[in-house]
Amino acid sequence: MKSGDAATAALPAPVPLRRRYPWLGGLSRFGGGMVFLALPLFLFGVFVFYPLVKSIYLGFFVSDPFGHGQEFVGFDQYREVLTSPDFRKSLLVTVLFALYTVPTGMILGLVFALLANQRLHGALFFRTVFSSTIAASVAVAAVMWLMLLNPSAGIVNWVLGQFDLPRVNWLTDPQWRQTWDSGPALMAVSLTTIWLNIGFTTLVLLAALQNIPQELYESARVDGASPWSLLRHITLPMLSPALLFVVIVASINAFQSFGQIHILTRGGPLDATNVIVYSIYTDAFINFEYGAAAVRAVALFVLVLAFTLVQFRFLAGKVFYR
Amino acid sequence: MALVTFDNVSKFFGEVVAVKDFSLEIYDREFIVLLGPSGCGKSTALRIVAGLELPTKGNILIKDRVVNDVEPKRRDVAMVFQNYALYPHMSVYNNIAFGLRMRGLHRREIDRLVKEAAQNLGLGELLRRKPGELSGGQRQRVALGRAIVRRPVVYLMDEPLSNLDAKLRVQTRAELVKMHRLLQTTFIYVTHDQVEAMTMGDRIAILEQGLLQQVGPPQEVYDRPGNIFVAGFIGSPAMNMFPARLQTRNGDLFADSEVGSFRLDAQQAQGATDASDGEVMVGVRPEHLYVGGGEGSGAVSATIGAMVDLVEYLGNEAHVTFSRSDSTLVARLDARVKLKPADMVPLTVLVENLHLFDRASGRRLA
Repeated sequence: MKSGDAATAALPAPVPLRRRYPWLGGLSRFGGGMVFLALPLFLFGVFVFYPLVKSIYLGFFVSDPFGHGQEFVGFDQYREVLTSPDFRKSLLVTVLFALYTVPTGMILGLVFALLANQRLHGALFFRTVFSSTIAASVAVAAVMWLMLLNPSAGIVNWVLGQFDLPRVNWLTDPQWRQTWDSGPALMAVSLTTIWLNIGFTTLVLLAALQNIPQELYESARVDGASPWSLLRHITLPMLSPALLFVVIVASINAFQSFGQIHILTRGGPLDATNVIVYSIYTDAFINFEYGAAAVRAVALFVLVLAFTLVQFRFLAGKVFYR
Repeated sequence: MALVTFDNVSKFFGEVVAVKDFSLEIYDREFIVLLGPSGCGKSTALRIVAGLELPTKGNILIKDRVVNDVEPKRRDVAMVFQNYALYPHMSVYNNIAFGLRMRGLHRREIDRLVKEAAQNLGLGELLRRKPGELSGGQRQRVALGRAIVRRPVVYLMDEPLSNLDAKLRVQTRAELVKMHRLLQTTFIYVTHDQVEAMTMGDRIAILEQGLLQQVGPPQEVYDRPGNIFVAGFIGSPAMNMFPARLQTRNGDLFADSEVGSFRLDAQQAQGATDASDGEVMVGVRPEHLYVGGGEGSGAVSATIGAMVDLVEYLGNEAHVTFSRSDSTLVARLDARVKLKPADMVPLTVLVENLHLFDRASGRRLA
């Protein structure tokens, strides 16, 4: 045998994958994709899809104290919970909470990011300070604000006192001069939440700001733009993807806030801070009414989904992606 | 009347000197090119006119008014940036209209001006597109349109052609020259490309390390470079340069070098009296070297023997590198010349074509 033949024999032509594993054939596209998706699908299934379906299912039952569906009641429980005054109250509180925290947090974050983006001495210091709240846990922030807002020893009331303003029982006064239905407690909780989120918002917006090419500003300045026009026509449009991201994340955060409410007010006073998440907790783990809690959870899911879709629908068109 | 005046302008970035003691008068309707290698300060000089940089020292004047402290938007200048700096979130229409809107023109007037500019630049079909959907050449046109539509007193252009491919660059070069003629306005044009400078400028200002080296019409800068830097920078292939010593023999002045000994003519001898210590640099352009003896024409010439190192045929001409002693000489010769490496040939240069520079200061002597 010649040496050339030996070399050829040693290297068989590659067998196409499908011929070697015929069972791959028809399934290859779908199955191949599934192989890659298997792990995330499994995790989502266990931790998201199953609980979601189970919650909807549980809503049709009055449950025993262990969370097992006992008596099938169909849509009666949905109707009963969703039309109850306390659900309407918590829905109102939730929406107010989102309205207090999301726009304020975004505007403050934008202002901080713009300030920190200035090429001034000490900018690094401010960048660090502005984004530092990202490192604080919900519990730490809540306890800190609990002390700041303490009616007799807290610094907030002390400052009010310096200006001869009346002291406020921030976390316990159910009503604020009979006019503000939610009272100061919701504002106090909102303040804590804004403080908690501001680091993240600032960081995201600052990173986006630094991605805007400097020549755009130079070109616009030569074109005759004032500082206000630069902000309106260059900065904000170029920031729009980051702003949309921040608004959606902050909104979802607002609808899901629990820790700070639990530590500061436990949903009180008189349900003034009883957001839907907190009422789910109360129903499920204080009152052991798992079925009712499941209904509220489904309602919250629909609310968040609708809110997010609305935001995409109305804001996405104004967003410019490079 | 000078439209833009640099009056002893210096700009430092910390320790770094970008522009130093720069003085230049730019006339109304002139097309002036600031030329130099990268980092020479030409872009900084342009940005000082735009108001994007403040001079550290000295004054910048537009229409005889010191504008050091005047904001860019109040200077009535328009600028075309190297990578165009188009607003990526705005349509072509809005990009062109932006400057007019900022100046508060009426909507109908803006519409008329934008459409007119777009028509002239062949952008009519593209007005609704975003910059991201345009080719490089189209983007460049939008950048030009944005500047033209403003009708400023001076156009500032920072290497506007450097992002285009070679063919488009040549085409746009010619269009810019036409545009300048049509607009009858002052252009200040920054480039590192000497071909652009030579073909477009009424005058060229050459900068190196922040210092102005020479200003003049292209032909003058080429024919009579003011110093060694300009001589070496302008022209391709570069001017041949070699050190020489001035010696007087039999009442004539000679420049003696490794390459050869050249008897200077009366005018050169006159200029050479300024040489600080007799140490000079002799320069000769590649097209002023001929193969053959120094017969004919009657002009004073010198012939030297040289060996061929390398022949590069470019189709219409050949660039031939010769060596003599330790020096190399490049000649631009007819493409039909039949030379091959290691050939020994006589090379002739007309003495009147020699450039003489003071070796210590680099200054032109003759």
